Amino acid sequence: MIELSEKSILVVGASGNLGRAISENLISNDANVFVAGRDEAKLFDFFGKTSATMIKANLHEETERFSLVEDVVTLDGFVYAAGISALAPVRYLKQSDFESLISLNTLMPLMLVRELLRKKKLRTQSSIVCLSSIAATSGIAGYSAYSGSKAALEASMRCLAIELAPKKIRVNCVSPGMVAGEMSSAYVETTSDQSLESHFEKYPLGLGEPTDIASAVSFLLSDNSRWITGTTIPVDGGYSAR
Amino acid sequence: MKMNLSNFIENFAEAIEDLDENTINPNTQYRKLEQWDSLAVLSVLSMIDLEYGIRLKAEVLRTTATIEDLFALVHSKNSNNP
Repeated sequence: MIELSEKSILVVGASGNLGRAISENLISNDANVFVAGRDEAKLFDFFGKTSATMIKANLHEETERFSLVEDVVTLDGFVYAAGISALAPVRYLKQSDFESLISLNTLMPLMLVRELLRKKKLRTQSSIVCLSSIAATSGIAGYSAYSGSKAALEASMRCLAIELAPKKIRVNCVSPGMVAGEMSSAYVETTSDQSLESHFEKYPLGLGEPTDIASAVSFLLSDNSRWITGTTIPVDGGYSAR
Repeated sequence: MKMNLSNFIENFAEAIEDLDENTINPNTQYRKLEQWDSLAVLSVLSMIDLEYGIRLKAEVLRTTATIEDLFALVHSKNSNNP
C-alpha cells in the first residue's frame, strides 16, 4: 500500500479506462480524490458511491477549465489521463484529427497546469503525472500524428520538470502499453482481431491490466518517488525492452 | 461526396500498397488479397473516412466479402449522412 492518505489529487480524464483505474487506486489508498471528465453519466456510474468529488468538464471550453481549477482544493497531485488516439496513414490524415490530437493530448495538460499554477492550486512538493504512450518512442505506421502528440507531451513535461523544480514540484509521465479493456480505442477500432493478437505477442509479460498503470501513477504521486522528476516510466510488460 | 463504384475501386486500390487497380473488380474478395494486412485495414478505413466522411470500425469489415459489398456499406452510410 502506498501512503497517499494526506494527499488531495485531481484526475482529469477519469471517465476513461485508465483514468478510472487510476482514480480507484487513489481512492483505495485513502487519497482525497477529485475526478474530472466530460461524460457526467460515466463519472456518476464509476464514482457515485465513492468518496471522490466529481466534476464535469469539457477541456476544450476555457471557461470549464477555469471552473475545474476553481472547484478543487490546493492539490498534492495532478494526473492527466485524458486523450484521444486517431490513427491514419499520413496520406489520409485529416487536419482536424491532427489538431484534435495535439489539442487534447499535448496542449490541454499544459493549459491545466498553467491554470493550477496561476491559481496557486499546486502545493510545494506536489506531483504531476501525465499519461503518455509507448507510441511516443516507437515507429509505427499510421501513428505519425498520435505518436507526435505524445512525444511532444513527454518533451513538454521534461521542460516543465526543470521549470518547476525550484518549487519542488515533480513532473513525470507514465507510458502505458495496451492493456485489457481498451476496446474502444482507435487502435482496436481500426485493427483486425488477427493483428491485435500479433500485437499482444509483442509484450513479453503478456497483456497488462489498467491496475498495472494505476500502481505506477500512484507511486509517482507518493513521496516514495520524491527524487524522481522529468522522466517517463514505461509500464508495458517489456514491450519497449525489445 | 457523390459516390460511384468505379471511383471507389480506384480509391481502394490507391489505399493499398502494391495493389494494381487492374487486378481487382467489384467481385474481388478483398480480405483475401495477399496485400491485406493491418496497415491495409488502417489505410482503407482512413481512406473511407477522408474521402467519404464515414468512420468505420475494423470489425464492420467482416460483414462484407467483396469490394462491391464494402462500397454498398459505405454508400448506405453516406446516404444516411449527406
